[in-house]
Amino acid sequence: MSAGTQKIIPLADLAARVPDGSSLALGGSFLHRGPFAFVRELIRQGRRDLEVVKQSPGYDIDILCRAGALSRAKAGIVAMEGNFGLAPWYRRAIESGDVRLEEHACASLTAGLRAAAFGVPFMPCGGIHGSDLPALNGWKTVEDPYGSGEAVYAIPRIQPDFAVIQANEVSESGDVRVYGTSHWDRIMSRSAKRVLVVAERVVPDASFRDQPELTLVPHFLVEAVSIMPNGAWPGSLWPDYAIDYPAVEAYMADKPGVLDAHLAAGPEAREAVHV
Amino acid sequence: MSEHISERISGAAPAATGAWSGFSYIVTNLARFVRPNEITFSGVNSALPMLACLLAKRAYPFAFTYINVAGGVDPIPSAVPISSSDPVLAEGSRSIFANEDFYDLCTRGLMDLCFLGAAQIDGLGRTNVSCIGDWHAPRVRLPGGGGGAVMLPTARRAVTWRTEHSRRTLVETLDFVTAAGGMHGVVTPIAVFTKREGRLVLASWHPEASLDEVRDRTGFAFAADGAAPTPPPTPEERAALTALDPDGRFEADAGIRLR
Repeated sequence: MSAGTQKIIPLADLAARVPDGSSLALGGSFLHRGPFAFVRELIRQGRRDLEVVKQSPGYDIDILCRAGALSRAKAGIVAMEGNFGLAPWYRRAIESGDVRLEEHACASLTAGLRAAAFGVPFMPCGGIHGSDLPALNGWKTVEDPYGSGEAVYAIPRIQPDFAVIQANEVSESGDVRVYGTSHWDRIMSRSAKRVLVVAERVVPDASFRDQPELTLVPHFLVEAVSIMPNGAWPGSLWPDYAIDYPAVEAYMADKPGVLDAHLAAGPEAREAVHV
Repeated sequence: MSEHISERISGAAPAATGAWSGFSYIVTNLARFVRPNEITFSGVNSALPMLACLLAKRAYPFAFTYINVAGGVDPIPSAVPISSSDPVLAEGSRSIFANEDFYDLCTRGLMDLCFLGAAQIDGLGRTNVSCIGDWHAPRVRLPGGGGGAVMLPTARRAVTWRTEHSRRTLVETLDFVTAAGGMHGVVTPIAVFTKREGRLVLASWHPEASLDEVRDRTGFAFAADGAAPTPPPTPEERAALTALDPDGRFEADAGIRLR
């Protein structure tokens, strides 16, 4: 129990564990169950030179670009989604060269993470043949060593410094439960060097013991946790809340003061420090 | 976003041919690629294919398995979401078939039909979803292919759509080849293409357009033998789309014009 309570720390302390220059696998997909309060806290703390590693980033990568906190990205598809279209500050950051992109297919990024999770230097990935992506990224094929004659692309290992997972529930010890789809969170949590979690609430250990099959990440893989209700705002967190469309629309305005106002509207900015 | 589609297609759509709007044309003709007893997938950034899959469930008298990027497997969503990856698309699902699952399903050859986005499409059905201009110094950085580079060559059939039919979207030469392998089908506001012997050929055209107009607005050469005006929506297709978009919100958001 004492070890468990030490694992739950304020959001500001959680974000403070991420040094400048870190690579971050961010959970969720587009506007759904992303660790958005955590991302905003990184911005408040003035973090720089970050890398986002995510198959389908959107709001998270866009706001990091808008704040000048990002220098690199590995991604498969980037958009605000909903009916908001492209991620405008991300787009500008790539077009201006401020952010360097390693463009992936979602599954090739997953293959790189799998290599890290499986403890091997590369991972075969189906498909990709005929695409310009291999030439762009220097990906090589390997021929089936067992003689089928089939050649597959071998994606080099991708090991993020951190996986940051937005969860519905955690135990005192840091076990992690997610409702609805887990998106890419499982492989992120197995491939990253360190795992940080932001959860809506703590539930008793007994609840986890009753249904261990619902646990996405066991506590021993988790370094630290913060509790932040509505932490995925302005995105959704199933089944607790849906996308806050007016808040995203307000964020999209390209006017002075919008980013600051948006940051001030985050639930983590309006709450007292949570322990 | 607030402007209604029927006001945008000025001069078109008198009563007899008012069978189709650009919106209903794309959604319904995407749905017509769905076949019985197959596994069909819709992904992120894909409101029109999402609607097509939901339409097929309502309008067609056959069973098929609909899986989606929210992890849903034949879901019973309580609402039709604006975001095609919204978790409501897993509501009523009896399992969660998450992202790694459906990609692996596809690469091992069991995905019958998937819908994949494209910014540019060439005559071979290859796609660019990466950039306009040079990749390293793009005039426009596009979203990226997401599933494309892996799913297009490994799915049994992949189908895409464009809300703009023009020589800048249907091109002779892609600015970048994000995904190869060749689309089985392409639907635009005025045409339906399918693949024959490795190239896209015209299957049908919007009855308010013409073969000449499709040729004129397409950047790649294509065969059109056997092509004819697209059959009008059936009462079942029409009713299903009305039920999915009763107040025309999706149609207004899509903002699809014939020309």
